[in-house]
Amino acid sequence: MDWDWTFTFDVVLPKMWAAAGVTVWATVASFALALVGGLILMLLKTHRSAWVSRPATELIEVIRATPLLVQIFFLFFLLPEIGITLPPLTTGILAIGLYNSALCAEVYRAGFQAVPRGQWEACIALNMSTYRTYRDVIIPQSLPPIIPALGNYLVAIFKETPLLSFVAVAEIMQVSKLIGAEYYRFTEAITIAGLFFLIMSLIAALLIRIVENYVKRSILH
Amino acid sequence: MTQPMIRFDKVLKAYGSLQVLKDLDFSVDKGEVVSIIGPSGSGKTTVLRVLMTLEGIQDGTIYVNEDPLNRMLVDGQLMDASRAHIRRIRSKIGMVFQSFNLFPHMTALQNCIESPIYTQGKSKSEATDEAMRLLNMVGLADKANHYPSQLSGGQQQRVAIARTLAMHPEVLLFDEPTSALDPEMVGEVLEVIRDLAESGNYTMLLVTHQMGFAREVSDRVCFFDGGRMVEQGKPDDLFGNPQNARLKQFLSKVLEAG
Repeated sequence: MDWDWTFTFDVVLPKMWAAAGVTVWATVASFALALVGGLILMLLKTHRSAWVSRPATELIEVIRATPLLVQIFFLFFLLPEIGITLPPLTTGILAIGLYNSALCAEVYRAGFQAVPRGQWEACIALNMSTYRTYRDVIIPQSLPPIIPALGNYLVAIFKETPLLSFVAVAEIMQVSKLIGAEYYRFTEAITIAGLFFLIMSLIAALLIRIVENYVKRSILH
Repeated sequence: MTQPMIRFDKVLKAYGSLQVLKDLDFSVDKGEVVSIIGPSGSGKTTVLRVLMTLEGIQDGTIYVNEDPLNRMLVDGQLMDASRAHIRRIRSKIGMVFQSFNLFPHMTALQNCIESPIYTQGKSKSEATDEAMRLLNMVGLADKANHYPSQLSGGQQQRVAIARTLAMHPEVLLFDEPTSALDPEMVGEVLEVIRDLAESGNYTMLLVTHQMGFAREVSDRVCFFDGGRMVEQGKPDDLFGNPQNARLKQFLSKVLEAG
């Protein structure tokens, strides 16, 4: 195996630097979407009315039961058919965000159910609104178990972003493939892409642990 | 005759095929202090839980101040109540739980001002003044900034009582309020409940295993067995001269035990 340092520094790194930014942006945006979307899906799924909860449950099942790559293609090729043309990156963020919303919904549900029944009952006895019940009582208490689980999805989403290379988003995997194809040298670009994912994942795991400890300390006394 | 504050009209409550309340007729007058006693599984706690709307009922109607709780009048007909209706009626009722159910991430004071501020729309300073007055009343003003985990069981239950009173309910429900406490803490909680009973400001329903206490503070004691109210009467009559065989058996067992 031969490794060309000059090629690495002069060609690979400059091109991949911008691509790394796209990967990070796709991760952060998808994760934000999944956090909010997951909460909404969970609230819809546990809604009193079956007219609301059934469709939400079905949607979650459909999303969970089909591969993410299929969903990315689905949105990428079918949204334009109904007149919605979005940039590939936006479509990809939408697809990854939606897919993980369905997964995060389960995390929220498990977290909320872990809050003792007496807490819900106290909220009813104090005549609190549903909004205040969740905002002030249920969500703060369910954060300690939820945060590490959501953190896992952050890392998972990060590792899912190379799928966007299939719809030609210039994220880090796509760019390293292009570099390889252009110069007939894959070693450097692919290795650096791998290292990038490894390092970023480790950093993310560390950050999640810090947030987790912080929340534990500030919520549970 | 005073109008009943609480009235159960043929209330049926079942879990699947298990009937917990069987066509229960039961009423409590305004300002009356009523204790409910009975063996476990008799439905006594269920009376409080359906009244607090923690659980629904299958048939019958519960009236609070002659306003149907689970039904509402729409064009002269009783329909299933809307959430807004239930919340309006529910605001008259407060409940103290066996396991306190304080919010563990809030201080004693925060527990007491949360709902007055966000449900009743009080200002923070007004709610705080009121909460401090109530915490002082239950002897815990100095613990206002403690978290529940820093308080003893008896102290937690007293905070829970203050939290309930802060909502200005007319009806107070106590669901075995001392059952989860160490014996040496039972007294301090009973003392607070006794003061509330003697104040005459509240209609009170108390589910308890403390027979001596029930006898002392109640205007009336009801004995439940198998989802029905089997016997009721003034405390001295019910405890001193029980008629029903099941009640006699229950009392002899309970009094024997302690």
